[in-house]
Amino acid sequence: MEIKYTIQGLLIYMTIAAYLLAFVTTVLRRPKAGHALYLLGFAIAVCAFGYRWYHVRHVPLQNLFEVFLCLGMIYPVSLFCRRVLRVGGYSADMLIGVIVLSPAGFIFNAEPQQLPPALQSWLFTPHVAVYMLSYIFMAKATFQAICQLAGKNPKPGEKLLPPEEATYRIICVGFPLLTLGLILGSYWGKLAWSDYWGWDPKELWSLASWLVFLGYFHFRYMFGKKHPRINSLWAIAGTATIIITLLWVNLSRIFSGLHSYAT
Amino acid sequence: MWVGLLLIIVLIVLSIYGAFIGAERAEQFFNRPPLVVYWTALAMLLIIGIAAFRRLLRVPGLLLIHAGCVLILIGGMWGSRAGHGLQKRLFGIDKIRSGRMAIYEGSSDNHVTLNGTREQKKLPFSLKLKDFRIEYYQPVYLRIQTRQGRQWKVPVEVGKEFPLSEEAGTIKIVKEYENLKIGMEEGKSVFFDDPSPGSNPALEVQITEPGGQTSTQYVFELFPGHSHGQDKFLLRYHRVISDYISELQIIEGGKVVAEKDIEVNHPLRFGGYHFYQSSYDDKAGQYTVLQVVSDTGLYVVYAGYWMLCLGVIWHMWLRHIFSRFKT
Repeated sequence: MEIKYTIQGLLIYMTIAAYLLAFVTTVLRRPKAGHALYLLGFAIAVCAFGYRWYHVRHVPLQNLFEVFLCLGMIYPVSLFCRRVLRVGGYSADMLIGVIVLSPAGFIFNAEPQQLPPALQSWLFTPHVAVYMLSYIFMAKATFQAICQLAGKNPKPGEKLLPPEEATYRIICVGFPLLTLGLILGSYWGKLAWSDYWGWDPKELWSLASWLVFLGYFHFRYMFGKKHPRINSLWAIAGTATIIITLLWVNLSRIFSGLHSYAT
Repeated sequence: MWVGLLLIIVLIVLSIYGAFIGAERAEQFFNRPPLVVYWTALAMLLIIGIAAFRRLLRVPGLLLIHAGCVLILIGGMWGSRAGHGLQKRLFGIDKIRSGRMAIYEGSSDNHVTLNGTREQKKLPFSLKLKDFRIEYYQPVYLRIQTRQGRQWKVPVEVGKEFPLSEEAGTIKIVKEYENLKIGMEEGKSVFFDDPSPGSNPALEVQITEPGGQTSTQYVFELFPGHSHGQDKFLLRYHRVISDYISELQIIEGGKVVAEKDIEVNHPLRFGGYHFYQSSYDDKAGQYTVLQVVSDTGLYVVYAGYWMLCLGVIWHMWLRHIFSRFKT
């Protein structure tokens, strides 16, 4: 664990503090103040991302530090889920923001790196950005799945979907992004490494996570809402494989491969 | 439907197993006969599913998704090692699936060493390497460290003097070498840039102490820890590669029929093959190593990708958006 005594570090810590305050304020039933703090945290997170972009002079999605910095900008996803999908979990999103920014603030190395030749491609930004967006949606879906397992339903006046349906709706938004990320990565692999499928550990884990959500859709199509707990477990298993794809594959020595520069 | 779900679960388990055994073994594992049976069963089930389930035919998004998966599987199997073998037996098409070729600057070649063997095969055309070069990120930085641990970083600019501090004095990069060699002249060591093939990048650095005394240090990129006991500073520099470029010509029937500078992410496509920048002569930069890959089945896979993407986006996003507009 290291504290970053830099402007970058300061911006990350300010975002974490704003998100934490927003969470506490929301839990203390001051939703308007909580929303304002959440918005403030998002504005600082955008500044932190923009500062990094300016500093490294390429889209900062190269390594785990930059990717987690990007994941910290969760607010638009929260807003979209609330307004368009009618899915709650606003306060949980603030905590997700804190959880993803903490490794960037305290664990991952922030030393700027120049892009190796393989990453100098127009596919670099869309491939990683699409994946990150899908991961945020899937994290939110998992929170809903946990709520379903815990038997927590939204309050009647909130006009929000029950957790099982909310999980399904969010996965319906995240799954095309996950598919797009996988296919863009495959196409890029063909251009950079000569094969669209290299059987690399990261590729296989990302295929496994895609397949788990595919299994979720098939299971839900077969049984509908008859087994809501199993539906939720599929969603949770999907996010567990995503976490392994994102973190374990890059940090563990077990899975050395073509994506090892992303640590 | 149960069978479909079962095959998905099996593939999840196999993918996770494959991730643990490493890419090379995973490739062999997924190409073994039992897995070929699995892939065929999966493709067959998808085709049967499309034919048997009316919903798959009626709902365009679902049809695209499932048909896309069929194309990906067919394209993948057709382009695999076994697929190439089958094409040779059935149609007499003897195409190189994947291999490598090393070409020296100024010469042309059409011999490809097949991957995993020492066997060589000939391409129906030749490739000529006009030039190979490596490009580096600019500026390159020289890192300076005192024995007490104080550090500075200055850009490598020949002839420019950089003040460090009042106690440390100044530092100046006198010369940049690509291939530094040391000779003897009249009993003295002489440093010179050798034009013959080879690579030993180095910097000649002049250090001026606050009192005006000067000393010279050599910094070798390939030997980052190199220093003498009397050296005042520990110096190191490292150039970060930004690109590898091979300038290639395709020669067919004695004529140049195509020309391209290939780099990472920018392969050359010609005659049913793709050529990739794979490696190079890191000692002297005299030759390049290209990866040669057949494009058999590739465009079927790409068609499958398009269909899968369009299907998923249509089925999960667009049809809902359109139906909302309609209502």
